[in-house]
Amino acid sequence: MYYLLPDFRFVKPETLREAFRELETEGAAPIAGGTDLVIDMKVGRRKPDKLVYIAHLPELNGIRDAGDSIVIGAVTKLQSIVDSELLRKHAPVLPEAVNEMASWQIRNIATIGGNLGNASPAADTAPPLYVLNAKVVIKGLGTERVMPVREFFVGPKKNALRKGELIQAIIVPKVAGEGVGMSYVKIGRRQAFTLSIVSVATLVKVEGNEIVDARVALNAVAPTPVRAPHVEEALKGSKATAEVVMKAAEEVLKDISPISDVRASKEYRRLLSVALTRESLLTSLRRAGVKVEV
Amino acid sequence: MPEDPYSLIERWMKARSFLVIGKSVTRADAIEKILGRAKYVEDFLDGALFAKMVLSTEPHARILGIDDSAALRIKGVRRVITARDVPGINEVGYALPDQPLLADKKVRYIGDTVALVVADDFEAALRGAEEVDVKYEPLPHILDPLEAMERTDVLIHEENGSNIAFRTKVRKGDVEEGFSKADVVVENEYRTHRQDHIYLETEAALAVPGLDGRLTVITAAQHPHLAQKIVAKVLGVNWSDIKIIVPYLGGGFGGKDDEGPLVAAKAALAAYLTGKPVFLEYTREESILVHPKRESTIIKYKSGATNDGKLVAAEITIIHDTGAYANRGPFILWRATVHATGPYKVPNVKVDGYAVYTNKVPQGSYRGFGNPSAQFAAESQMDLLAEKLGMDPVEFRLKNLLRPGDDTATGQVLEDSVGIAEALEKLAKVADWKRKRETYGKDTGRFRRGIGVAVAWHGISTSRGVPDWSNAYLKVERDGSVTVHTGIVEIGQGSPNSSHRQIVAEVLGIPPEKVKVVYGTTDAPDTGATHASRGTTVGAIGPFIAAAKVRERLERLASELLHAPVEQIEFVNGIIKVRGTDKQITWEKLIDEAYKRGVEVSATGYFFLPKGKFDDEKGRGFAYPAYSFIAMIAEVEVDTWTGVTRVTRVWPALAAGKIINPQQVEGQIEGAVAQGMGYVLMEQFVFDERGRILNPNLTDYVIPTALDMPQVMKPVYVEDLFKYSPFGAKGVGEMALIPAPAAIANAVAHALGIRFTQLPLTPERILLTLRGEK
Repeated sequence: MYYLLPDFRFVKPETLREAFRELETEGAAPIAGGTDLVIDMKVGRRKPDKLVYIAHLPELNGIRDAGDSIVIGAVTKLQSIVDSELLRKHAPVLPEAVNEMASWQIRNIATIGGNLGNASPAADTAPPLYVLNAKVVIKGLGTERVMPVREFFVGPKKNALRKGELIQAIIVPKVAGEGVGMSYVKIGRRQAFTLSIVSVATLVKVEGNEIVDARVALNAVAPTPVRAPHVEEALKGSKATAEVVMKAAEEVLKDISPISDVRASKEYRRLLSVALTRESLLTSLRRAGVKVEV
Repeated sequence: MPEDPYSLIERWMKARSFLVIGKSVTRADAIEKILGRAKYVEDFLDGALFAKMVLSTEPHARILGIDDSAALRIKGVRRVITARDVPGINEVGYALPDQPLLADKKVRYIGDTVALVVADDFEAALRGAEEVDVKYEPLPHILDPLEAMERTDVLIHEENGSNIAFRTKVRKGDVEEGFSKADVVVENEYRTHRQDHIYLETEAALAVPGLDGRLTVITAAQHPHLAQKIVAKVLGVNWSDIKIIVPYLGGGFGGKDDEGPLVAAKAALAAYLTGKPVFLEYTREESILVHPKRESTIIKYKSGATNDGKLVAAEITIIHDTGAYANRGPFILWRATVHATGPYKVPNVKVDGYAVYTNKVPQGSYRGFGNPSAQFAAESQMDLLAEKLGMDPVEFRLKNLLRPGDDTATGQVLEDSVGIAEALEKLAKVADWKRKRETYGKDTGRFRRGIGVAVAWHGISTSRGVPDWSNAYLKVERDGSVTVHTGIVEIGQGSPNSSHRQIVAEVLGIPPEKVKVVYGTTDAPDTGATHASRGTTVGAIGPFIAAAKVRERLERLASELLHAPVEQIEFVNGIIKVRGTDKQITWEKLIDEAYKRGVEVSATGYFFLPKGKFDDEKGRGFAYPAYSFIAMIAEVEVDTWTGVTRVTRVWPALAAGKIINPQQVEGQIEGAVAQGMGYVLMEQFVFDERGRILNPNLTDYVIPTALDMPQVMKPVYVEDLFKYSPFGAKGVGEMALIPAPAAIANAVAHALGIRFTQLPLTPERILLTLRGEK
């Protein structure tokens, strides 16, 4: 099928430094997998004057063990995240979530930095990264900033990058361990290769029979992916039981502001947010070693 | 002997006056050669021009003017074509003369084609299309068919005087009297929605002037001869000046029956006007915006039964939102009207159908052709009646299903080929229906299981007395290989490449590898469309008869050569032998002898389906020569937390006559289940207040993936042979889609104890209903 791409220049810089310089120009945009950007360009949603290819730059690529955290380069392919033993061991909710994204073919070209940079309210890497308290490393020419992933999302399709900056990496703390459980639940319009109507990631830490830490994040229910502090507060310090979870999950309605769109109504998203928060929390508790039955 | 070539030669030898013989008729290629337009091989190496459509951005508006000056200033743009450039007839409606190829005075939906931009390359064509400035005077638009029916102040087609494009009716007995005998009555309004075909390959055509001495269009269509007709009509030339080639198609499902001839005509028009090969291919967005969709319906259904479980009356009103043009809407409505009772014996029937214009994308052909929505309503009613009677749904259906000798709603007696009751009985056993129906439906936890049943019927061939025939050329080459020419297309269903070959091979007693079927070409005789599940049942009668004729001749020859009576000659895998002896001759040798001894081994196979008459005034009479039947049982699991329905298993049972190729039939069933399930559970269009489709792409128009598929169990076959088809085969292609919405909806109703009368059963609709928010 024939689509009109707007006129643009394509540059493939030799070094990261050169990439930054190219990105300084007005109308420049970085491109790695291009699975969001190229479609946006074909249908006229975005018209960059210059595409700066970055997927080949070694400083931006790969999954690395950094002691108490794991560093994921921005242009790391989504499928590499699914396949990473390191992540499966220390932050399993991320590969679990990424495995539900798109298709194998697309996961082999799309990158994690691209999914974050696109800043969709429905970004599927966001809920797991939110509950992992992951950080984004933002680099510019001679500058470096580190911020929580949840601050990187500024609004629908708006991120915290300034002109000339790139996501270099995502830092994921190693959190898995005794008494820790995490999980991800997604509902789309079919069983595979689909955008989220709502998805939820949760992480719980249990000591004895008490929930000592609870983190809940959702996508597609607000202008950006969100954490659910009301749910988290209702859980922290509570007994790790199904009853507590069922009730606490209702608090999620205070944390979200869904809209109606072609995918679903806000009413359905509200109901789904409660249901999926419950399901994900129950699964996380089970994975933390707690017996819960509904 | 009428076919005897000697008498034919003798007759024409005696002629004394002539029309053209003996006169200086200008040779056909003279003008082209003098003008230097005659094309030789190398001339076709030129790249084709690209065409791009300019689509209406208004739902309903008068076209005040089209300014192409900015478009023509773009480098590479050669021409902007509008309705006034059409040399022949611009009107291309199938059922009613209401649809222009290129909008002339008005546009009637967002997506109506207004102009074509033709350019040297696709970029110039796309840029040019953006620059064509169409001035509109907006008119009030109507999107709701019920509103459209009432209003006459806004007319989508002024010449029609009403927004009702077409009416149908069926009458039998007296419904009032029928309902007076009913012990239980159920009355409901059902609503079903549009569905897109989402064929992998969108609409495309490459038109090449002069190729093979004609304007040849290589196009994605389901009926080459219809594309030929439409192209010839638009260009104002003889049909014989147009050649259509339909190569492999990336799916059609009815959509290319409607849009195929139109994309061919658009490309051909551009090629004709520029004198160059022109290529036009719809983008996915254009395909979704422009081409006709599955019917969107409102069906008001009242039916009643007696306490002993006998249906006594059905009163049905069917309203089809036919969109901006009638397209095939009247035919679709007609089929829905005739099938609306389901395959049951109902003594009193009143059905009224209305196809109503609105300013939306037109209604069109889609696998099932008006029938899935009709069976959804009919089969929901059957479950509700069974419930009121306290009867098992299978048992209730068995009491009412048509059997040989029964008459249908139109009063047509079906003497034979009615195997549905046997199919349903067998299916219920195979699926362990009774136990599951008693166990499921009682779950109280998060996940609820349900099992549902539906039956359906589908008339073979075109509706009413509309003429239908089959035709083919067959020739045995001198080496014994066989070439068959048919207009049936290869659309993924495989009939030219499987059943046709099998049938010819069977009749000639040779391996199928020896049979080559050339399909999808107007160089074959008009074989009708590859639609209505007719590729094999009607389409293959032509090759069958042609082969049978040749077989007779060869039997006589073999009898001579082997010195044995014809009755003792048999053809087996390329060996022709005398039964009970070792006398034999190979197929190749026999054919060689035929060529040497003057036995013709080519033939046409023509067959005109015998039909009766339908009285439109009375709403009674002959509807179809026979029906294919299907029963389906579906098992579901509904998540009451999320509203998500999983269809876990589907059991099909076909009463479709002889099964020529079981593997192909299973493929058809699985594909139809996928499409039917997608339709029921997830596929839907979102329209804005101007009738624009808001999700014209595969991101937001969602069809099922392999992971959504249920397990489709081995089909039960009841081979209720049909007397006018090769080996008794009836149609299969559409069948499994038709009961799927009803079977799944009935299973969901069983799981939840809630009846849904509106599709689709998206998680959203289910959950909001469960929570009482809808």
